[in-house]
Amino acid sequence: MSARTPISPRRINRRDFLRGSAAAGMALAGGWAAPGWTIERNILHIRNYVDLTALDPPFSVSGGEGIVSQAIYRNLLCFKPDGTWETELDSAEFFERVDDTHYAFRLKPGLLFTNDFGEMTADDVKFSLERIVDPAMNAPNAPDLATLSHVEVHDRYSGTIVLDAPYAALTTVGLAGATGAILSRQAVMSVGGRFGVQPPCCSGPYRFIDWQSQRKTILERNLQYQGPTAAFDQIHVYAMTDDKASEMAFEAGQLDCATISVESTGPFSKNPPPNSYVDIYPSSRNYWLGMNQTHPKLQDLRVRQAIQYGIDAEAVVEAAWFGLAETSTGPIPKGMTGHRDQALVPPRGDPDTARKLLRESGVALPLRLRLDVDTNTVVVTAVQVIQWSLKKIGIEVDIYTQDNSTFLTIGQESAGDQWQDVQLFFQSFIGLADPYYSLVWFTSQQLGIWNWERFSNEEFDRLNKQALATNNLAERDRMYRRMQDLMEQSGCYRFVTNGIMPQAIRNTVVPVFRPDGYAMLQHFSPITSPA
Amino acid sequence: MIRFITRRGLLALLILFLAVTLLFGMIHMMPGDPASVILGPKASPELKAELNRRMGLDLPLPVQLGRFYGDLAQGDLGLDVFTNRPVADIVREQLPFTLALVLAAIGGAALIGIPLGCFSAIRRNSLLDRVTAVLSVSFIAIPTFVVALYLLLWLAVKWRWFPAIGAGESGDLGDQLWHLVLPAIALGLGWVGYIARMVRASMLEVMEENHIRTARAFGLPERSIILHYALRIAVLPTVTILGLGIGSMLSGALFAEIVFSRPGIGKLLFEAVMTRNYPVVMGSVVVTTGFFVLSTLVADIINAALDPRLRDSGRAS
Repeated sequence: MSARTPISPRRINRRDFLRGSAAAGMALAGGWAAPGWTIERNILHIRNYVDLTALDPPFSVSGGEGIVSQAIYRNLLCFKPDGTWETELDSAEFFERVDDTHYAFRLKPGLLFTNDFGEMTADDVKFSLERIVDPAMNAPNAPDLATLSHVEVHDRYSGTIVLDAPYAALTTVGLAGATGAILSRQAVMSVGGRFGVQPPCCSGPYRFIDWQSQRKTILERNLQYQGPTAAFDQIHVYAMTDDKASEMAFEAGQLDCATISVESTGPFSKNPPPNSYVDIYPSSRNYWLGMNQTHPKLQDLRVRQAIQYGIDAEAVVEAAWFGLAETSTGPIPKGMTGHRDQALVPPRGDPDTARKLLRESGVALPLRLRLDVDTNTVVVTAVQVIQWSLKKIGIEVDIYTQDNSTFLTIGQESAGDQWQDVQLFFQSFIGLADPYYSLVWFTSQQLGIWNWERFSNEEFDRLNKQALATNNLAERDRMYRRMQDLMEQSGCYRFVTNGIMPQAIRNTVVPVFRPDGYAMLQHFSPITSPA
Repeated sequence: MIRFITRRGLLALLILFLAVTLLFGMIHMMPGDPASVILGPKASPELKAELNRRMGLDLPLPVQLGRFYGDLAQGDLGLDVFTNRPVADIVREQLPFTLALVLAAIGGAALIGIPLGCFSAIRRNSLLDRVTAVLSVSFIAIPTFVVALYLLLWLAVKWRWFPAIGAGESGDLGDQLWHLVLPAIALGLGWVGYIARMVRASMLEVMEENHIRTARAFGLPERSIILHYALRIAVLPTVTILGLGIGSMLSGALFAEIVFSRPGIGKLLFEAVMTRNYPVVMGSVVVTTGFFVLSTLVADIINAALDPRLRDSGRAS
């Protein structure tokens, strides 16, 4: 895809001169080629925030891998490219819930796998889904198809997905998400039953061509794809972990689309690189301040509630997200079943209530607390505002930053006894297409794993099971709202924001993103004459 | 000479062993949970424990170290816990990018720094000498990542003379060289100043020595005296420094690799440390430490070849 900036003749001369000089030098060195940073026509160059580690659906744990997976594989269902979490038929021409544990499907005939692995059949669906929950596979994504029992194959194209128990997230998380990709049984078995970053077959609008470690992944239009022809000849997905590097690459014209950092969003929006613009997409990430309710300093509910009321979440969002994000009402973001219109604690907090609660608790002031956080610049800014907020009510906060891998262990019982010393921490979890995924981490089952607040509530646990076992949207909505109320009433959580996913986009590209800001590469298309 | 090389070679092996052992201990004592990073949040505690068992992380540290050396002796650096690929393959893929960068940086720095230092010494206290002195110190003082960022901002982003990211297309030498220019300048600029100052100081010292005065008394041309008698000796400390430079650049390349999104061993090591991917960390550490020790050894040997007093010093003692 061409994304070059219109440039003045003077610059062309200077550049041409340098290119010419370089060309002469390179010719002497024995090799010549056109400089490689020029963006070719009809190739989409896009940033991915991680390098690939697995494209095998049961083992592909990063959202960055999901971006590639969804362009090269087909699922029974897929998300509509309209910015909602609604699903539509993908490789299935028919899909129906028979009852709470049976889902019938029929594949479109003639869908082909690449590399001569033939037509997609119901047996491939059976193979692909059952291997995810096969205990022998030890697949980290097995929970995505939590209650799958088996898949009955009726004929070449049709079958029934059978669950052991009702599972409301089956269609969104299990089937339309990256985990639910359908692979060819023959192809996967030909590589020993599992693979890493070299898929043995593809079936999506693009096919996998090459993966260059720490560099890029190259996808190419899949000519055997039975749906609408892919818009680009190729997509080059660059593994760029560093936001600043990707921003500069975008400014230099080497990328057509890149997720940019929150702090660069304002400057990029006001003064975008030539021929480009910035669009701010919502994120499904949940940022919150957690409180370990078993720590002696935080065992009193009134102290925890004082902290909730003492924090000005709007000020936090204004400072750390430059006012570009909204304060959140809980882990479930806007647009999803279970989202609350407002939280119990007001966004600005209430310092008077906080002081009153502290007085009632009888705690000696100033109360000194430790706050753990990772080194991400946005969250470090956020906790500094929290520190300032809490100081006003007599709580002194000492901030301890640590790298992400270390931070991930502070509340985990498997990593030793340090979880007992956890007091406050600023954490963020990513969400998926179903609200259960935003709340499942706070059940009693997760105590000492991801539930570092040590929040334990029978009603919450019960609702978590019930909400996942019913397909009644109104009921689910009510249950998830109640669960967030319970979280907030426990005093263990101060919800801050769901964040943003700012994207810098070249005018020559029509992008499509999911509601959580992740690119849907398969739906990107070029504009031949820039607007 | 053979005795000298043998002695230095054994010393190099000892240094390598101690350095790798120390680094192994340090890396494994860092808190962190690779299983959570690798398997993602959905993985059960049992699955994480299984992965830790597979990585040998449930064993005492000395046992892990013993196993590591046992595997290393057989040329096995283990498997990348993320991709299940052999670490040796991963390191082999990334190493050429870093070596190319380091050699281009140090080679370029030597090509500019040695003549500059030499010229400054010959024209001592001239305007050129003073300008060179100021520039050299400035180059040394500016951190690599600052140079990298400004090169990127001006030459790649603003004027677009050079590419901003990547290492060029595989199999396209011209493209790869073009992608190498900015990172090599960023990495090597400080060394230009360092080498220039070192050569200048050495040259001034050598030019005062008796054999130079004798050569002048014999009426040898000044150019010949400088090139054949003075510079040959004056460059000796620089050769040692270049050896150390290659070693330290292998790790210093990290900044350039991150800023320019280049693949390479520095970036590989950084990301492996951040995700506690221990096999890749150790594989990278072994290779970078090995190269550091090797480059120092080669510098010693070159020094000994150029200066017989060095290789005879051990014998005399």
